[in-house]
Amino acid sequence: MDFKVPTDRKYTNSHEWVRLENEKAVMGITDYAQYQLSDVVYVELPKIGEVFEKGSMIGEIESVKAVDEFNMPLSGEIVELNDQLHNNPELVNSSPYDEGWFLKIKINNPSELDTFLTANQYQELIQREENQ
Amino acid sequence: MDSDSRLIFEKGYNHPHNNFIPKMDIECVNIDDLISKTLQREDLPIPDIPEIEIVRHFLNLSQKTYGVDTGIYPLGSCTMKYNPKINEVIARLPYFSKLHPLQEENLGALELIIELSKILCQVTGMDGFTFQPAAGAHGELTGLLIIKKYFEIMNLKKNAIIIPESAHGTNPASAKMAGFSIIKIRSNKDGEIPIDLLKYAMEGDNVAGIMLTNPNTLGLFERNIKDITKIVHDYGGLCYYDGANLNPILGICRPGDMGFDIIHLNLHKTFSTPHGGGGPGSGPVGVKKELIQFLPNPCIFLNKDGFQYRECSENSIGRIKCFWGNFGILIRAYAYLLALGAQGLKRVGEISVLNANYLQVQLQKKYHVPYNRTCQHEFVLSDKNLPNDITTEDIAKRILDYGIYAPTIYFPLIVSGAMMIEPTETESKASLDNFVKVMLNIYEEARSNPELIKNAPHNTPVKRLDAVLAARKPILHD
Amino acid sequence: MDFIPHDKDTIKEMLKVIGVNSIKDLYKDIPNELKVNKLDLPESLSEPDLLRKLEQLAHKNKIYSSSFLGAGCYYHYIPSLVEFVISRSEFYTSYTPYQAEASQGYLQAIFEYQSAISRLTGMDVANASMYDGSTALAEAAIISTIITRKNKILLLEGIHPEYIEVLKTYCWGHHIEYELVSEEFLFSKLSEDIAAILFQSPNFFGEIEDVSPLVKKIRTISPKCLIIQVMTDLTCLGILKPPGDLDIDIFVAEGQSLGIAPSFGGPGLGIFTAKNLFLRKVPGRLIGKTKEINGVKEGFILTLQAREQHIRREKAISNICTNQSLCSLAALIYLISLGKTGLREIASQNFQKANYVKRKIAEIEGFEVLNQKPTYNEFLVKCPNINKFRTLCKKDNLLPPLKLSKYFPDMKDVALICVTEMNKRSDIDAFLNAALLTIKKTKWRD
Repeated sequence: MDFKVPTDRKYTNSHEWVRLENEKAVMGITDYAQYQLSDVVYVELPKIGEVFEKGSMIGEIESVKAVDEFNMPLSGEIVELNDQLHNNPELVNSSPYDEGWFLKIKINNPSELDTFLTANQYQELIQREENQ
Repeated sequence: MDSDSRLIFEKGYNHPHNNFIPKMDIECVNIDDLISKTLQREDLPIPDIPEIEIVRHFLNLSQKTYGVDTGIYPLGSCTMKYNPKINEVIARLPYFSKLHPLQEENLGALELIIELSKILCQVTGMDGFTFQPAAGAHGELTGLLIIKKYFEIMNLKKNAIIIPESAHGTNPASAKMAGFSIIKIRSNKDGEIPIDLLKYAMEGDNVAGIMLTNPNTLGLFERNIKDITKIVHDYGGLCYYDGANLNPILGICRPGDMGFDIIHLNLHKTFSTPHGGGGPGSGPVGVKKELIQFLPNPCIFLNKDGFQYRECSENSIGRIKCFWGNFGILIRAYAYLLALGAQGLKRVGEISVLNANYLQVQLQKKYHVPYNRTCQHEFVLSDKNLPNDITTEDIAKRILDYGIYAPTIYFPLIVSGAMMIEPTETESKASLDNFVKVMLNIYEEARSNPELIKNAPHNTPVKRLDAVLAARKPILHD
Repeated sequence: MDFIPHDKDTIKEMLKVIGVNSIKDLYKDIPNELKVNKLDLPESLSEPDLLRKLEQLAHKNKIYSSSFLGAGCYYHYIPSLVEFVISRSEFYTSYTPYQAEASQGYLQAIFEYQSAISRLTGMDVANASMYDGSTALAEAAIISTIITRKNKILLLEGIHPEYIEVLKTYCWGHHIEYELVSEEFLFSKLSEDIAAILFQSPNFFGEIEDVSPLVKKIRTISPKCLIIQVMTDLTCLGILKPPGDLDIDIFVAEGQSLGIAPSFGGPGLGIFTAKNLFLRKVPGRLIGKTKEINGVKEGFILTLQAREQHIRREKAISNICTNQSLCSLAALIYLISLGKTGLREIASQNFQKANYVKRKIAEIEGFEVLNQKPTYNEFLVKCPNINKFRTLCKKDNLLPPLKLSKYFPDMKDVALICVTEMNKRSDIDAFLNAALLTIKKTKWRD
C-alpha cells in the first residue's frame, strides 16, 4: 500500500506532520494515520491560547470504532484552529496534508524541529510498522 | 407487517382521554396559589395519542426486534440463555412488586436476599454478598473500591491493577473510575496468563492485585489459575474475579476455591434474568470473610452465628447505589436457582460446554480457530481464513439474512477480526445444527459470491446502515 | 425444572461429533483439586412448587392499601399499556442492539425514549439510561470535573441522603473533593476551583427551588462552574418549568415514577441529560438516526460509541455497559400513554392532594408544617408523637410517612409525608384521622 508523504514538511514517530509557516508551526496527521483510523467522525482540538510542552496529549481523533490521541509536536501556544473540522471531519481522510490541518502553534523553541523525521525517514517508519 | 415508519409522536390527536387518571375527589384550589406562574412551564410537547395507536406502534416495533425467544442468540460473553417465564410471574407478584424499599415490614424481601446470598456463597465459594450493584460493571467498580479500601486501611500505597489485554472493556474502565492505573499483561501463545510476566508485573510495590475472567474471554480455562492467585497473594495483592464467564463452571468448580478474594456475578447472564434490550441487570459482589467489613452499607453476610444484617460498618466503602439494588432482578435469579437445584445447576455448566465444543469442532472445518483446544462455554474465530477480503463484519451482516442474530464481533481485541460465539446450554441440537449450516453456507458464499456478503444484509427491514454519518452528524432525538 | 432441550441420546451423538467419550473430558483443563463434589443446595422445584414457595415468601412482606411514603420511591398509577409493551418478549429477551439492521424495532423505541425525555425536560441530549438517579448524579459529578478540569464540587443541602452517600463513594474513588453547603453559604463558597454545583429540586424535603435566580447568580459569580440538577419524581414536570428552560448544564433524575413498579427499590431508571455542548462527554449508550449506506431508508443505530468503555477502555469517562433499557421503554410508554394532558393532570393532582393534606394537618394541634418554600407532593411536618402517629397509620392499613430521623438523627418527631394521585379521599381522611387520634380520642369529621 502506498501512502502519501510530501517532502515539504517533517514528521513525528506518532504519525503527525509539522510544517513551518512564517513563525508558526502547522500540524495535522499523516495519510498513513488517517488510513489506520478509517472514517474520522470527530476531532477534539485544544483551545486557542493554551500552552503545552512538546509531547503532551492535546487532543483526540475519533472514528466509528476507535479513538486516537495526538500530541503536541513542539512546545508553544495554540494560536489558530481549523474550524472546518467541526462540521467536516472527513477532511482529515480526504485531505490530511492540506484542508485537514488541525492547528497552528506559536513555537518557543524552533530547534525542537531538528529531532523530527524527514519524509524519507518517515517512509521507513511506515514500512517497519507495515511489516510487523 | 406495518410499513408505517412514523415515530410515535406523529400519531397524536386533539381529543385527549383521561383513561389513566383517577377521578379527583378533594376540593381543589387555583394551581397558581400552590405554585407561582413563573415556575410553571408554558407548553409540554408530548402529544396525546389514542391507545390503539400506541399498541399497534409498539407491537410492530417488537416484531422488528430479535430476542432469545425469537431464535439462537450466540453473543459471546453475554450468555443469552432462555429466560424462564415463571420468573416473570413471580417478579410481578404484588407482594414483591408493590414493596417500598423504605418500609419496615419487608421480611419477605430480606429473607429472599439472605437465601440468595446463601446459595450464591455455596455456588461461588465466597462468604458474603452485596446486591447493590446494578450491573456487572457496577459490581467491578464496587469490588475495586473494596480493594482500594483494603490497602488504605493498611496504609499501603497500592494504586495499580494488572488487567489482561484480552479483558472486557469495562475492566480497565472500572479500574480507572476507582482511581487505579492499569498494568496490561499480554496472553501467551496458548491464550493464557504467562506466569513469568505476572511475577515481573507484581514486583512493582504499587500493585494492588489482578482482575481476571476465568474461563477467559477466549473461552479457555486458565490452567495455572491456582499458581496465578498464589503469586498475587504472595506479593500481598488481591485477586478479583469477573464473573461474566461463570456459566460453564457452575457446579463444576468455584472462583472462591481458585483463590479469588472478590468476585462479581452477572445475574442477567449466568442466572437467566432477561437482558431487556441492554438492561436492567444486576452485578452482586461476593467477598471472602476478611473483606466483609468493606462491603457497601447496609449489607447481609454470613458469620458463625448465621446470616447477619448490618446497617453500617466503619470500614465499608460506603453506598454504591440508592436502596437495596435491583431487587426485581434478584427475585428472578433466586427463582431460577430454586428451580434448578444442585443437579440442575451442574447440568447447565456441562451442557453449555458441550454445545460450544459441538459448534467449534464443526466450524473449524472452514473458519480459523486461533486457539485450537477444548473450549468452555464459548470460543473465538478469527478472520484469518476469510476469502476475497471479506471482513468479520460482513459475515455478521450476512448471518442476519438467515434470520438469526450474529455473534459478538471484534472482541476480544487480541484476536484479529474476532467473532466470539456462545450458544449457551438452552439451544437444542437442531438449533445448533442450523447455525453450523448457516455459517458454512456463508463461507461458501464468501468464496463464490463475495459481493453478496460485502453488501449484506439484504433481508432485514433496512440494509447496512451508515455508522459514519450517524457519528459525524448525530441526530439523537426527533 | 430443566430448561435444557437435549435427551441422553442427543448428548451421546454430540459427544461423538466432538470426539470425546464423556462431558468430563471437556473439563480436562480444570485441575482436579478444584472440582467440587456436590453443592449444598436445595432440591430442584417444578413450576407450581416454585410459585407456591415464592408466594409464601412474598406474603411475609406487608402491602398497604395506600401509601404516604415517598423519599425517593413513589406510587403513581402505571397504565396497562406499560406492562403490555415491556412484556413483549422480543423486547425483554433481546440484548443491546449492536446489529442495528436486525434490531430496528428496539432502536427506534429507545430513540423515541431519548426524544420523549428531551421533550419533557427541555434538555438537548438524553442518553439511553443509567442505573438510577443516585448513580446518574455521581457520574455527572465525575464528568463535571473532567469537563472543567477542576477537582471540587459543592452539594447544596436538600439532596436525597442516600444520593449523597453514593456521591461520597464515587468521589472517594475518583479523588474528587466535595463539600455540603447550605443555601446561605453557597455563594461564599463559589470559587475558581469549583467544577460544579449539584442541587435537587424539588428537594428531599419536598421544596421547589426557584431555579432561575439561583442559576443566574451562580453564573455571575462563577461562570465556568457547571450547574447540575437532580430530581427524584419527574411527574412534577407536567407543570413545573423544565430544566432545559433554566440553563441547567446537566440534568439527571430517577425515572421510577414514570411507569416503573417500586419493587423494593429496583430496578429503577437513571435519566441523564445535558446541553449539546457536552455531547461527547455524555456517558452510556446513545441511539442516533441515520440512513442506509446504499439506499434511501432511514434507520436507527448505536452511535458515538467512541465515548464508551468497549472502545476507550481505561480512557472512558464511564464504565457503564448494561443499563436500564427495559425500564426506559416503560418510561416512554408511560409518558406517551398519559400525553401532555394526562401528565399535566397527574402533576396537578399531586400538587392539589399533597397541599390539601398539608393544609389540613397543619390545622391539627401539635402538627407543624416546616417547609418555607412551595412543595410538590412531599412536605415536612413536626408531629407530637411520631411513633404513635405511624402506628395509627399502620392500624388503618396506611403505609406511614418516613421518620426523618432515619437520615437526620437530630430531627426527631419529623415526618416526610408524600401524597400522590393514588391517595383516594378515603385514604386521606383516614390519614388525617390518624393524625387527630395521635393527640386526642374523638373522630375527626369534615
